[in-house]
Amino acid sequence: MLRKVYFKELKDAFRDQRTLLLTVLIPIIMMTGLVLFYEFTFFSSSEGEEYDLAISEGIGDEERTVFQEHENINLIEFADPVDAVIEGEAQAAVIFEANFFDKLDTHETTEVTIYGDTFSRNSSNLIQEVTLALATFERAVVLERLLAEGIDHEIIVPFTIEQSEISEESMPLNLLAMLVPLMLILAIGIGASPSASDLFAGEKERKTMEALLMTPVKRSTLLIGKWLAITTIGAVIGIITLLVVLLEIQFFTEHLLSAFQETENMFLIFAMIALIAIAYAVFSAAILMLTSIAAKTVKESQSYSTPVMMIAIVPAMLTQTMGVHEFNLFHYSVPILNFFTINKELLLGIINIEHILIVIGTNLLAGIILFAICRMMFMKDKWVMD
Amino acid sequence: MIEVKDVSKRFIDKKRHVTALNHVSFTVEKGQIVGLLGENGAGKTTLLRAIATLLSIDEGNILVDGYDTVKNPEKIKTKMGVLFGGETGLYDRLTARENLKYFAALYGMSKHETKVRIDELSRMFGMRDFLDRKVKGFSKGMRQKLSISRSIIHDPEIILFDEPTTGLDITASNVFRQLVHQLKQQDKTIIFSSHIMEEVSMLCDSVAMIHKGEIVYHGMLEDLYAEEDSRDLNYIFMSKLVRGDGDYAS
Ligand SMILES: Nc1ncnc2c1ncn2[C@@H]1O[C@H](COP(=O)(O)OP(=O)(O)OP(=O)(O)O)[C@@H](O)[C@H]1O
Ligand SMILES: [Mg+2]
Repeated sequence: MLRKVYFKELKDAFRDQRTLLLTVLIPIIMMTGLVLFYEFTFFSSSEGEEYDLAISEGIGDEERTVFQEHENINLIEFADPVDAVIEGEAQAAVIFEANFFDKLDTHETTEVTIYGDTFSRNSSNLIQEVTLALATFERAVVLERLLAEGIDHEIIVPFTIEQSEISEESMPLNLLAMLVPLMLILAIGIGASPSASDLFAGEKERKTMEALLMTPVKRSTLLIGKWLAITTIGAVIGIITLLVVLLEIQFFTEHLLSAFQETENMFLIFAMIALIAIAYAVFSAAILMLTSIAAKTVKESQSYSTPVMMIAIVPAMLTQTMGVHEFNLFHYSVPILNFFTINKELLLGIINIEHILIVIGTNLLAGIILFAICRMMFMKDKWVMD
Repeated sequence: MIEVKDVSKRFIDKKRHVTALNHVSFTVEKGQIVGLLGENGAGKTTLLRAIATLLSIDEGNILVDGYDTVKNPEKIKTKMGVLFGGETGLYDRLTARENLKYFAALYGMSKHETKVRIDELSRMFGMRDFLDRKVKGFSKGMRQKLSISRSIIHDPEIILFDEPTTGLDITASNVFRQLVHQLKQQDKTIIFSSHIMEEVSMLCDSVAMIHKGEIVYHGMLEDLYAEEDSRDLNYIFMSKLVRGDGDYAS
């Protein structure tokens, strides 16, 4: 009997165009947007991109050679370079003092000014690039002067500095590790919610509930069948979403792919995330079921479930600012919150079986507790009939 | 046989107590067709739901073929068919046949039994043309035929219909009336609520009039006509209600 109820609900749900649309389209659109956004904003930025640098009209060839090595800087002449930056015609401007090179030759102090907007990322990048170019040029001038004086250059350059990042969390991956679970949670919630509302509130509204309760099938059998159907829909959406991300990273990205490949176990990690998404689907189906039983109409049910889903944003924000090493048992055992912590951990390449089991266990447990509440309500006429 | 014994049901609706049924008693013999008459909010739906085991009651008890609705609802469910509203209780995204099959399965009918029964019902109601179409685009009449078929898919002995023809046109209402005639020949017990007096006088052996949660009359239709010296059920109903109210006032 359970099988009959379960398969009927699934058939019914997947014939609903909303469910189909949400199951297939939402994950594809959300994840494609996310992946491509990442690929193009975070990774490709400083390399490859070209910038326009405003310079004064009639500037000499010597000044131009300063930037010769920097092929991504386009020099554009303007009567008023600063104004050009304000007007957005260039990302930054550089102005050499009059007779800059003559003054250098005669060892007089002279000046070069960079104008830019540090609130703009493009402008900041260009300023950095220009500063680097000027610093290189400065060193060349100094070396030249020292050589002329017969002094070895090692006196002025006693050591070189190399910077190396020890944190495992690169900035873009860190953000991605928050956004992937957020998208997953939203996809599962949004995707499963129409069927969840339909399966209880909808049955009340259409008066099919009475007909259903008149059959000799036990109420708990109906409830479990429906719960499993909602869970299945949520889980299917979760897995489709993940597959879309995985495929897009594989085939459409270069930088993101290499970032993930450093973690070696990309496929194992995604399999783990899928498993956790299924456990989460069990839990979220129980929440949605609760809102649907409490409501009299589909509309009412959705007005309950929407704010509930918004709660997901809070843990997203919370975990975003924390490093994986700061997470403790609490962070792994509170459903929804632990969906973010475990996914962050996994996406940063750490597979901790104990954490995974805690997350799956707590989600299933919370699902069962919510189910028990649903069952209590479903046994009462008040919640079943209008 | 249905025995309703001293049944009361109260609802608490927004802090306000509503007595939907107030010490209601009456008996329906096997093979009888009973019309349940009452104004809006009189308690008709509540009474039918209570008989259908769908609602708990605060006082009294209801026995269906000797089984208590509260203690043995499963025993009762298999021999009872209900339809609340004329064309409700259908899944729009399933076809007519799928709707029927689903309920047949829930009643534990075998594949073969289901097939035979669906053939029988579709012949009876002339549903062959739309049996494999999705319910979504159905007219009210088509929905009604299907709703009724669904409610009697398991060939129940006792059938409850709550306002089965409300909102339907004459053709669709006639489908229901013909069905009641057929079911009567099969010696089924039927209770249906209605606002339409001519429908009741045409189809029923006996009537139960309910007013503000109390039965103000229950008896054979012919006896009622003799007693009131009139065959105008509408008139009789109104005068019963007025007298009923007068009694409470004194
Ligand atoms: N679930 C409920 N909660 C609160 N009050 C209810 C509930 N169901 C019925 N009532 C109240 O009980 C009374 C009887 O209602 P019922 O639906 O049985 O009347 P009815 O005779 O079927 O009326 P109608 O002709 O409008 O269908 C009404 O006052 C109604 O407001
Ligand atoms: Mg009613």
